[in-house]
Amino acid sequence: MLFTWFMLAGFIFLFSPGNLTNKFQFAFHRIFRWPLSIGRNISLSAGTRQPLRDKDMLSRDEYKRFQNHLANIILQRNDAQQMVQKLSKMRIIPGWERMGFVPADVITVPIDELRSELFINRGQDDGLTKEQFVLADNSVIGTIADVDARTARVRLFTDPAANTAVRIANSKYLMQGIGDNLAKVSMVKQKVKVGSEVMASKKPGFLDMPMIIGKVAQCKLNAQPLLWDITVEPVCDIQKAENVVVIVMNPPD
Amino acid sequence: MRWFRFAVLILLATVLQASFFGNLNIKPDLLLILLVFFAIYCNTTEAIITSFTIGFAADLIGHTMGPQMISFGLFGTALAYLHQVIALRKMPYQALVIFITAILAGSMVYFLNSLKGEPTPPNIYAALFGIALYSAIVGPFLFLPSAWWMRIKISRFSRR
Repeated sequence: MLFTWFMLAGFIFLFSPGNLTNKFQFAFHRIFRWPLSIGRNISLSAGTRQPLRDKDMLSRDEYKRFQNHLANIILQRNDAQQMVQKLSKMRIIPGWERMGFVPADVITVPIDELRSELFINRGQDDGLTKEQFVLADNSVIGTIADVDARTARVRLFTDPAANTAVRIANSKYLMQGIGDNLAKVSMVKQKVKVGSEVMASKKPGFLDMPMIIGKVAQCKLNAQPLLWDITVEPVCDIQKAENVVVIVMNPPD
Repeated sequence: MRWFRFAVLILLATVLQASFFGNLNIKPDLLLILLVFFAIYCNTTEAIITSFTIGFAADLIGHTMGPQMISFGLFGTALAYLHQVIALRKMPYQALVIFITAILAGSMVYFLNSLKGEPTPPNIYAALFGIALYSAIVGPFLFLPSAWWMRIKISRFSRR
């Protein structure tokens, strides 16, 4: 009888709407935020980090952040030049001015072959909603998948459930996460150089300008002739990210 | 059964699994190891309660609520009944049970997730094999400290 009751409870959890059952997960991450952060910091500090040899040299993380920022600025400049050339008569508001940025601390980062997510300490009370883009080191890392009042779950673009519209060499594709901190773009029409930038496409209401999301790690021939499969990796070390930024479009003043 | 100590142990394992082991690609499943431990060393009623509770804790740090509670509860209960027939005293047998339970429970979790419309990751069986193998190697060594904390004697086995 006890077994039956527990199984019934399990199936109730399984088939209940996600916005109800997610409250348990968010409550756990909120209540145990401190020990979770400590455990994660211990795990990260066990990884090797090269000390700076000279105070004038940049750390790898800073270098990546500046590199991503440069890629974004170059693309914005190119887009702005195209806009000027079109001789638009409408008043142009620069994209950055329409965006609000909500900083958030990372609580946990469960990344493995089967899922890629992270939990942050901001929620609906801070203006967050589903599908908002999340940045780390000036690059897009994912979107808000679930949110409650004070916590949110971010689905990284490398998660198998993630599908992200991207631009590669001025063509638009759909990128799918494949786990293990990687994503894939299938059936690309042209060969792309390894190391090329992959930009997240604009999405009205969520992202007003393309932003860097990853870089090409591998480019292999598809089973179909003259088509390529591209493997994309993030341009920042998401597992070591301690802070992220959520883009909130047109925030209230 | 010391339920307060059980609660502390499960909370500790849950926090460690989510934080310390969260960054690793292939990692042992501490909650699964504890599931097998309690299924072997508790009576049937306690094994059922502990199995479902551990499954609930696994769901808290998992993708969705429900699948692990059901699969851990099912396999923990089955293991408790099986242990009444087949003794699992030796570490190699315990390792084998942990391995098989990990594969079966993990497969059921992804099947139940697919019922909710969640996509199945491409390398699921390779990942499950890695987790099962790692848990099977590490698991039997964690039985002694768990038994010490729970004040369960495991040096002398008695059938129930």
